[in-house]
Amino acid sequence: MRSVSLTQPIRKMFLAVAGFLVAIVLLESDGLASWANHLEIGPLRTVAVPVTAAVQKTLHPLGVAAIRDHALEALARAGWTDDAALLARAANPPRACDLPGASGCPTSASANSPNPALMPGSGSGASSPDHSAHNPFLNAPGARMPLLGDVPKTTALTPLPPVEAGKPRVVALTGDSMMAVGLSAELMREAAGDKNLRIVKAFRSGTGLARPEVFNWMEEYPAMLGAEKPDVVIVAIGANDGQGFVVDGKVLPYGSVDWLKVYQERIAEFLAMVGEGGARVVWVGLPPMRGYIYNEKIANLNRITYTVVSQSPRATWWNPASYVGDEAGKYREYVTLANGQTMRIRSTDGIHLSDEGAGLLTSELLKWLDPPAQTTSGAAEAPAMAAVVPADHVRPTARTKQHTRQKAK
Amino acid sequence: MLFPTVEYALFFIAVLAVAWSLYRFPVAHKSLLLLASYIFYGFWNWTYIPLLFGISLFSGLIAQRIQRSRTATAKKRWLATGVTVCLATLGYYKYTGFLMTSLLQTWGRFAPPPHIQVYSPLLPLGISFFVFHAISLLCDCYRGKVREPVNLGDALLYVAFFPQLIAGPILRASRFLPQLAMRRNPNSIRVNRAFLLIVSGLFKKVVISNMLATRLVEPVFSVPQSFGAWDTLLAVYGYAAQIYCDFSGYTDIAIGCALLLGYRFPRNFNAPYTAADPQEFWRRWHISLSSWLRDYLYFPLGGSRKGRVRTYINLMVTMLLGGLWHGAAWTFVVWGGLHGSYLIVHRLWSRIGWRPLVRWRATTAWRWMARILLFHAVCVGWVFFRSSSFAIAYTVFGRLMVSGAATLATGPVLMVLFLGLAGQFMPPRWRNGLEIELGRWPALARGAVLAAVIATIEILGPTGVAPFIYFQF
Repeated sequence: MRSVSLTQPIRKMFLAVAGFLVAIVLLESDGLASWANHLEIGPLRTVAVPVTAAVQKTLHPLGVAAIRDHALEALARAGWTDDAALLARAANPPRACDLPGASGCPTSASANSPNPALMPGSGSGASSPDHSAHNPFLNAPGARMPLLGDVPKTTALTPLPPVEAGKPRVVALTGDSMMAVGLSAELMREAAGDKNLRIVKAFRSGTGLARPEVFNWMEEYPAMLGAEKPDVVIVAIGANDGQGFVVDGKVLPYGSVDWLKVYQERIAEFLAMVGEGGARVVWVGLPPMRGYIYNEKIANLNRITYTVVSQSPRATWWNPASYVGDEAGKYREYVTLANGQTMRIRSTDGIHLSDEGAGLLTSELLKWLDPPAQTTSGAAEAPAMAAVVPADHVRPTARTKQHTRQKAK
Repeated sequence: MLFPTVEYALFFIAVLAVAWSLYRFPVAHKSLLLLASYIFYGFWNWTYIPLLFGISLFSGLIAQRIQRSRTATAKKRWLATGVTVCLATLGYYKYTGFLMTSLLQTWGRFAPPPHIQVYSPLLPLGISFFVFHAISLLCDCYRGKVREPVNLGDALLYVAFFPQLIAGPILRASRFLPQLAMRRNPNSIRVNRAFLLIVSGLFKKVVISNMLATRLVEPVFSVPQSFGAWDTLLAVYGYAAQIYCDFSGYTDIAIGCALLLGYRFPRNFNAPYTAADPQEFWRRWHISLSSWLRDYLYFPLGGSRKGRVRTYINLMVTMLLGGLWHGAAWTFVVWGGLHGSYLIVHRLWSRIGWRPLVRWRATTAWRWMARILLFHAVCVGWVFFRSSSFAIAYTVFGRLMVSGAATLATGPVLMVLFLGLAGQFMPPRWRNGLEIELGRWPALARGAVLAAVIATIEILGPTGVAPFIYFQF
């Protein structure tokens, strides 16, 4: 009797857990399939993707997933979400053809489909076909570009045309956490009150270009911009891209020839998209990282983006290492300014920039976006900005000085 | 492995099933939990597993030494050795960068600082929590509160037990080790209470905290210059709700998971914004930390036994160090200093014995006024706590004086803000009633309801899962 009374609570708990599992699989079969597809390439994903896909396919006729989608769309319409792409999808709900299991539909992937990259035959997974037409690399035979050598230590940003009176320059900030952490906030803070600049936010942490099935920039970026037509786009992206991905059901390990080819295509498509409408693009390279292995990976990713970006006449690959790296462009944590002030320029993770580190970049970018001479006369042409100041000669700009004083309080 | 993820759900269900299958075999049961805890920790960064193991083993061995010492001097010596090593480890990992920056900045005010390149160590996840567990083990053994001889395996599990490993609640060795020594009793499982805790924790984190963070707090605290008084005020209130929901949500899930495994964790939050004075606030906010600081810092400093001035000094020292525990930055020190000064002012105010004032302080009207006043004082502290620099904190305060429309005050944001703050006034009997009601349902149905609520939370929450705020501490 004692044994029975003791094990009964356990049995009840397991029954409750079983009820939970059955119900959650019924209610969230789409969510579980999506989770599996978002996993990093590895054994867990290899097992989880077919299992969850089979469950999803089996349960699809019940229509629970459709109810979930309707609920999400209703919430989006009610203003519950600020996810631009979800709002766009709510405004243009997917057709029946976009749902799994639908038959008799055209084979091309719809831009409204939640995960076009997962649809068979979607190629690289970048869903929008419009941009490839503008992209010379994709039309070239054997689209893969041989990687250029080391990234340049110095880059010049050619001057922008003067800002027209009463028409501020629209600057879009886009990218992953390399933009979201430090850089964007610092740029927006320093540009606040500058009537010549209007900043548009179009960044999202935890994203990248390697895995469009996780976050599809080709779909999300236009949604984030809305009606805005940026004159300048500043890109800082790629810190999460050192990973393999799946194309047409085939795993492409990070760094393989096929991986490189597809990744270059994705960068080129993204670059073509953000540069649409004649926007000038500044691609901020990834800064040197603290971890040795990760830093090597980042150096390779920089070479890849530099190779692609340098082919575009309206885009410039800009090396942040000359500001936040040491004399050799390697990782450093502290910078001592000429006035004796010492700043910690990297965050505690050894990856992102601190506000002070971001300030070293933004002061230079702002001088280019809205040169001081132009602010006063509105007509003087700014000189080409050398992107590299020797690390020993980093001088605080007026903005950085003010910033430093404030931080030191 | 964050709590609100599929990975954690699968991991936890697997651990739960195996742990209860082994409950008749305590050694195997605890070994499994220890292994699971290291897998949980290693999921983030396995390179810090030796540090976690080292601190746990070291504190266990020193605790045994303390218990075996025959003289008070020897006990004290072992305690001092253990606490010094623990604090030195915490100091090295958490404060090297802060001290380096402060030193070089101070140096730069008087003379050109040296051009040295130093790297501050990367901060291991949860180090502030597991080091405090280790110190609790040492102090409780020293004070004789742990009566049974310390078992090394139990000490390892006490420090690393996965539900509390990353962000608490901070367990006391004297209360948790006896639980580990006991054989698991399936009758102690309170499934309904655990389910309610897990669901409420998920709702607070995924819906309220995440929405407030992305839609209100983050935009304003990133670029306060762009917002006027209404948005700024809402963002400050929003952060008060966000940090409460984020942290109490985490501990609710932790307590619920531990409960399903048959372990009792102490309550960590008790409707803190219903407090009417700072002392009461600290009895309701992060209770496991405030009581830890009280028992292991404030009392050893002399508490309130050495005169009034010394009491105030002790309060201030405790709160300043409490602030520094939260983060290696001067903004956290100011936050701690503000709360120290609130506690001192409250003590001075309470000493005023003028009868009309004493009578007024006993009224409901005063209690509500005091609540509102205290809430705003706490919000002032939160501005420093949330801001990455003093410049941003001052700008936030400055923008409260600048007129401007409430551009971020959308219906959903206001709704979750209201839920985050007003939810604390919900009578506890509601939850108890719900627990009793759930108990009448068949077990399968209870599980299904839990799944339905979690699916709803998933739909209501913003895309992606933000890390819990307290992970960084």
